[in-house]
Amino acid sequence: MAAPLRRVLYGAARGLGRPWRPRTLCAAAAAAAAPGRSAAAPSGRSPWRLLGALCLQRPPVISQPLTPLQVEMAELLQQIEVEKSRYSDHEMRALEEIRKLERKKADLYDSDDDDDDDEKEILLTQDLEDTWEQTFLQFKPHPRVTEADQKNDRTSLQRKLDQNLVLLVKEKIGDQETWILPHAEWQVGETLRETAERVLAILSQNSMEAKFLGNAPCGYYKFKFPQAFRTENNIGAKVFFFKALLQNGDLSQARNKDNHVWVTKEELGDYLKPKYLAQVRRFFMDI
Amino acid sequence: MSGALGKVLCLRKEALSQTKQALSLVRFQLREENPSCSAGNILLNTIRSYKSKPTHGIGRYKHLIIPTESKKKIGKTEMKPISQGTDHIYGVLNVHLTAYDMILVENYAKYVHKLCNDYSIKVEESYALPTKTMEILQMQEQSNKMLLDSILTTHERVVQISNLSSTFAAIFLEILQSNLPEGVNLSVREHTEEAYKERFKARPELEELLAKVN
Repeated sequence: MAAPLRRVLYGAARGLGRPWRPRTLCAAAAAAAAPGRSAAAPSGRSPWRLLGALCLQRPPVISQPLTPLQVEMAELLQQIEVEKSRYSDHEMRALEEIRKLERKKADLYDSDDDDDDDEKEILLTQDLEDTWEQTFLQFKPHPRVTEADQKNDRTSLQRKLDQNLVLLVKEKIGDQETWILPHAEWQVGETLRETAERVLAILSQNSMEAKFLGNAPCGYYKFKFPQAFRTENNIGAKVFFFKALLQNGDLSQARNKDNHVWVTKEELGDYLKPKYLAQVRRFFMDI
Repeated sequence: MSGALGKVLCLRKEALSQTKQALSLVRFQLREENPSCSAGNILLNTIRSYKSKPTHGIGRYKHLIIPTESKKKIGKTEMKPISQGTDHIYGVLNVHLTAYDMILVENYAKYVHKLCNDYSIKVEESYALPTKTMEILQMQEQSNKMLLDSILTTHERVVQISNLSSTFAAIFLEILQSNLPEGVNLSVREHTEEAYKERFKARPELEELLAKVN
């Protein structure tokens, strides 16, 4: 059920030949993806350029630990449930066997009284429980705090397993390097979601699989170019963010380690500019 | 009797000389018939005077109610996705929740239902599919026999949703996924005829007869 976007998409596909000098509080457009094109914007087009950005999230792998109140409540409920419950088949069998063993030890034991079934009962419930205990001890779960957490290696996907992580890249814009969500220029004839998919393909070189949740963008950011670079038909740009959940794969190793980070919501503030951050925060959900 | 009535009628005649009632009463007098006084058949009373009064039909209300269609068991039509212009709304969707733990899955189904109510997404139905039991047999050590069973039951709950807009669908799905408890599988599918028919029990006699006919 594809749903084409609501707005009629205008676009002035201009190439960015010159580097931009970014304004103090704005993130400027990236020159990386779009090749240089000759500008021929007709007068009917809107002066805003359109960019599609990708908010690639890695959903949490394990659940968050319970708060102390939740732990207490869970224990209380468990206790109530156990006290109100009745014996299960396994427990009944265990009780029966205890009684039979006691009868055997007693002096008035008469082997004829016992049923035939008793002879065939090789496996007592106690033995079963012991074997279960053994298999349980052999099972070792993975640690919650991984190596990457301890090293605080922000480029790896293995850190912060119980939280959402989002991908940030460092793009060189003009003479400044800023951290942004990866984006690409919108080209005529494709939907903005396809632009975001293109960003994914470029970043990962097809090694990452992500699931887009819908055709509608989850947020947008509008900024104007600095005064020196504004023309009549090129006031600024609008960036539309699309959310995608990472299924598997990682950024290709070809990409430099310094250029990308996987961050949680709290750490976003370390990297993004304030206004950009404010917009991104609105759609980045935290549990 | 007729004399007294005649007096009453005359008085009435004076008071409401121009109303229909007066005319009809006058008609009575001229014909010299007085059906209300006659000791004969009630069926002779052909002219009912109260039908012409303004209070006629004062208790009628059925014509004001919107007629509701009676629900039939089989043959319930499905809603097709509404796609009109700019806004796109999904048709009927089924949210399947499966888990081994029944309490967990039921509580999560309750959570999903409440969430839909809060966001005014219409919940058509919320039903359970029959549980599937799986017996696990382990190979016993030092023998070829399969013993040491454990029994696993898979429980499935379905929440049927309609009227979900595509802009909200992404957010809704993300909420569902991020709040999913451990051990519960989530699957969102479109509602189809087969999914509807799956809930009914198979009728072997009917199938036999059909096979015989064909």
